[in-house]
Amino acid sequence: MNKSRPKSARALIWAGVLLLLCTVTLPVLPYIWASDSEDITSLDTVENNPRANFWRNVRTGAAGYSAVGGPEANVLINNAGQNWRQFRMNLLAPYGSYLMGAVLFSIAAFYALRGPIRHRSDEPKELLLRFSVYQRVVHWFTAILFWILALTGLILLYGRLVLIPLFGSKGFALTASASKEAHNLFGPIFIVALFMLVIEYARDNFYRKGDLSWLIKGGGMLGKHASAGRFNFGEKIWFWLVLLLGTIISFSGIILDFANLNFDRNTLGLAHVLHGIAAILFISFSFGHIYLGTIGTKGTLRGMTTGYVEQTWAELHHDRWQPDDEMTPETGPLPAAQNE
Amino acid sequence: MSDFILGPFWNFAVIVFTAGVVGRIAMILMCGLSKDLAAARGSSVTGAVGTVARRFFPRKETVKSNRFHIIAGYMFHIGLLALLFFAAPHVQFLKNHLLGFGWPAMPHWAFILSAEIAFAGLILLWLRRVMHPVTRLLTRLDDHLAAWLTFFAMVTGCLALFESFAGLRVLHILGVELLMIYFPFSNLMHAFTFFLSRGTTGARAGRHGVKA
Repeated sequence: MNKSRPKSARALIWAGVLLLLCTVTLPVLPYIWASDSEDITSLDTVENNPRANFWRNVRTGAAGYSAVGGPEANVLINNAGQNWRQFRMNLLAPYGSYLMGAVLFSIAAFYALRGPIRHRSDEPKELLLRFSVYQRVVHWFTAILFWILALTGLILLYGRLVLIPLFGSKGFALTASASKEAHNLFGPIFIVALFMLVIEYARDNFYRKGDLSWLIKGGGMLGKHASAGRFNFGEKIWFWLVLLLGTIISFSGIILDFANLNFDRNTLGLAHVLHGIAAILFISFSFGHIYLGTIGTKGTLRGMTTGYVEQTWAELHHDRWQPDDEMTPETGPLPAAQNE
Repeated sequence: MSDFILGPFWNFAVIVFTAGVVGRIAMILMCGLSKDLAAARGSSVTGAVGTVARRFFPRKETVKSNRFHIIAGYMFHIGLLALLFFAAPHVQFLKNHLLGFGWPAMPHWAFILSAEIAFAGLILLWLRRVMHPVTRLLTRLDDHLAAWLTFFAMVTGCLALFESFAGLRVLHILGVELLMIYFPFSNLMHAFTFFLSRGTTGARAGRHGVKA
């Protein structure tokens, strides 16, 4: 009985990973197929209009001559642009909204069924320092920039659909222009924030003994107590996702920000595709992070605002974490390697 | 609405800003100083100038403990100064409406870089203010308003950079007007009064033959 549980849990984990991979890769496949197949050129060339073959030939992307310099300046029509547009409008936008909506719905349903996780708060409250001033500043610096970029990015992706009925075409044009400028301006600052975040938090987010059992127990959500150190395995997964998705978004964002540096259309299209997918995933995962950090787990938000958590909270969620008595708000807690 | 913002409200903001700043400086100067009866051991002028200049740089003893605050402070103030006096639209505005002469403006890439440095510095400073247990207790509504109005004026300026839409430019002007009206009644006055406070301290110390 005891052995079958971990097996089923493992199967559940692998199913989750597979589902995640499918979610990421499936929307991209039609785009890749469309860019490789060049189905327009494979149409029957026998047509009544003799100029049709000429224009089909043009659409293959064959290079001619142009006095204008620059990448692809000699190509009259490049299908990659049309493929990118179709991916953006027909796949990224709708499936992105389905994913974000599904995550929000799942969180709402989970909250309705499970409710918030509470710790014993009837005892005299002894407070433990969980995050230093610098750690909290870096966290909120990244969070503020993330939400500025997320909102402006979503306006650029969905504004045409959502905002034109509200503001009209002119109002949307102004909003979209402002969003684009803000997105391009704050994007590079986000890269700096991400770097600061990784440097500050990485040391406590490496895999440690006991993390897998925390995952198997569902992080304590399924009833049984799940033991954890300063950061539990869920927080560690979120940290590495932030690094992975943040890196993809940063590199692709830099390419899009400096589009005038002789990048060809395929590179820019690919950068946009990666940027969009990574951003939608990032926003979707962030809903879960925000839920668990606020209304989902009582007492957690306090740690990231004041730096202190209640001892009963720490015993319930991070029982293997032992704060150092010597620490101050300036120095912060010791790394997990020293205090677990 | 935009006519009001660009016309009467602009004039009102300029009057409040000018009268407010001049009035507050005059009030400080009228307070006067108590007479220093000690025999002079050095120059008060050298002391004043030296202290004003020296305090642009952090003291060695405090660098380690205040590293974050110092770096973020420099980032914000240098970035803002560059934007204020070297952004092409500002240089043009000063030339056409105030001074009658201009100077070379910074290129577009330098504008973006300055804006990013200033924004990063401003956000970090504000976050530290609300996160640090001591500065949080010392913070008043005035400090938040000053930070948010500055952020609003800066961000609307960046959004209006390409002047694609007149509405964005008007929004920036409105942000600047609100900042100008609030300026004389807030801690933002330190942009003018730091010369007086540093100079006075330096002059007193210089007269006594010591460095402030």
